[in-house]
Amino acid sequence: MAGLPDAPDILRDSAYALSSPDALRPADPTVGDVEIKNYTINFGPQHPAAHGVLRLVLELDGEIVERVDPHVGLLHRGTEKLMESRPYLQNIPYFDRFDYCSPLCMEHSFVLGIEKLMGLEVPERGQYLRVLFAELTRISNHLLNLGSHIMDVGAMTPNLWLFEAREDTYGFFERASGARMHMNWFRPGGVHQDVPLKLLTDIGDWLDGRFKRLFEDAISLVADNRIFKQRNVDIGIVSRDDAIAWGFSGPMIRAAGIPWDIRRSQPYDVYDRMEFDVPVGTRGDCYDRFMVRVEEVRQSARIIKQCLSQMPEGPVLTNDRKAAPPRRGEMKRSMEALIHHFKLYTEGFHVPEGEVYVATESPKGEFGVYIVADGTNKPYRVKVRPTAFSHLQAMDFMMKGHMLADTTAILSAIDIVFGECDR
Amino acid sequence: MPSSYPRFAANDGVIDAAKAALGDDLVEACERVGEIQLHVKRAGLVDVLRALRDTPGLEYQQLMEIAGVDYPARGDERFEVVYCLLSLTRNHRLHVHVRTDEATAIPSVTGLWPVAGWLEREVYDMYGVLFDGNPDLRRILTDYGFRGHPLRKDFPQTGYVELRYSEADKRVVYEPVQLAQDFRNFDFLSPWEGGAYQLPGDEKAAQAPGAPTPLKADEVKR
Repeated sequence: MAGLPDAPDILRDSAYALSSPDALRPADPTVGDVEIKNYTINFGPQHPAAHGVLRLVLELDGEIVERVDPHVGLLHRGTEKLMESRPYLQNIPYFDRFDYCSPLCMEHSFVLGIEKLMGLEVPERGQYLRVLFAELTRISNHLLNLGSHIMDVGAMTPNLWLFEAREDTYGFFERASGARMHMNWFRPGGVHQDVPLKLLTDIGDWLDGRFKRLFEDAISLVADNRIFKQRNVDIGIVSRDDAIAWGFSGPMIRAAGIPWDIRRSQPYDVYDRMEFDVPVGTRGDCYDRFMVRVEEVRQSARIIKQCLSQMPEGPVLTNDRKAAPPRRGEMKRSMEALIHHFKLYTEGFHVPEGEVYVATESPKGEFGVYIVADGTNKPYRVKVRPTAFSHLQAMDFMMKGHMLADTTAILSAIDIVFGECDR
Repeated sequence: MPSSYPRFAANDGVIDAAKAALGDDLVEACERVGEIQLHVKRAGLVDVLRALRDTPGLEYQQLMEIAGVDYPARGDERFEVVYCLLSLTRNHRLHVHVRTDEATAIPSVTGLWPVAGWLEREVYDMYGVLFDGNPDLRRILTDYGFRGHPLRKDFPQTGYVELRYSEADKRVVYEPVQLAQDFRNFDFLSPWEGGAYQLPGDEKAAQAPGAPTPLKADEVKR
């Protein structure tokens, strides 16, 4: 770590030096009492419970955390800068790489922002497919978070079972888009390709069969478990006022008791036709956040079933040839279609001048995109509003007075992914 | 089909309410692409945001985002800082814009919303915009010891330094960036829409109307 001009001294210390020999030095050997100094330790940047590359500088009084200084940015890739020099369509894959646990929900905000600027209409089936797969992404994301949360506080088995179900969702994503993780499937104006009927029936069967069994079994092991509750109840309590002032959103604000869900209050796509409950917490602690996510998984399954039963036949992508390419078969026969295809994949479409802030309910909270378009084929500025930024910032006040071992519980109850936090 | 993007409460009356509550601090209020923009004076920013948060009928309780934008073409006051607010009770969003230059600080709103701390740090890190009153204005996303502000339009996309692990020194060393080939920046704009250069036949443009100018986003028919 030498050679960094601004590196503070702590960088040079060993990452896990829990105590120094000076810490327990007697102040006065004749009296024998011990002078206890606060000491500082590094948590991360490589730590299995950090959910990525997070470095927490913790100031401890004994085992009590007095101050937390999260250092983020270790995964900063300059995505927002890169997006300014690429056409809109080439920027969608970058969104998969923000929160790589819920890629489609990241794409969702961006394509909705472009649709708002361009005034695009999206066919009904396209909207249903987007809602269906956004909810499948939510399930996938929550399965990972719930599992790793359980593991961070000491239990092993549920995580393995939840990963089985999560693996199935990746199979579904692959069958829809061709990619397991970075789907790049949503487009301004709909989705890239229609899905086969068998995939939809398989998702329906999976929800009622294998998924339900695995999920409910895994949760039944921990939800009423005494040890699990001892590690989570009354840990990291956030009041309603604090949740608002610290810019919380998603499960974090709902666990604090505020029934705020963008899918419900500012519906996008066909969420206004879906019936689902918005779970809220009563105490705002880590256990509430966990249980809010558990219930959200069940509600997502409900939404997916409604999508499956209501989804009409029809096109999945807009017919506006200035925004979406023609089908391949049409392209082979029509000169006009070939020109459109060529123009869209070289120059890209032009987005009219304007600026919008569009936010959707990603599994982790409000994921917003502020787009400044200047009328060309590339965005002038794209600002991504990550959910983790405001939640992680509140670590300091949530951790104050808690034990060192609670760090992992609070951290995983926030549900952080650094691709999104650091961009 | 209703529009696909998130549908929040109507914008009716918000501009009038904002005008009444903000008074002289408001430079311009407009509605573009279905979103309300309030352009305000830099000095009055804290009062403006407090009024937006606390005035009954406005009630923007949450600060969701602070975005910086760089417009070098504007000359002085090249930076625009955009505060995206959300009202949980009225289910409405708007953004507040304020302008500044490289040297003049914007008053910090950490006193109103603690969440502003990191958001302002990010704008400072990326653009070099200063915030007066932020207790902890360090860099946040870039490397320890990074120089420059990467999201400014005059900062090259390749950056100035690259780093590698040196087997000789047994540590990571920083070196000036060396590109194996020139950085490729394609001109995707078609010559009849975007180019600033003259092509044969351009002189006829004055004689006959050409293709219509592309619509702006708030003029698109929805």
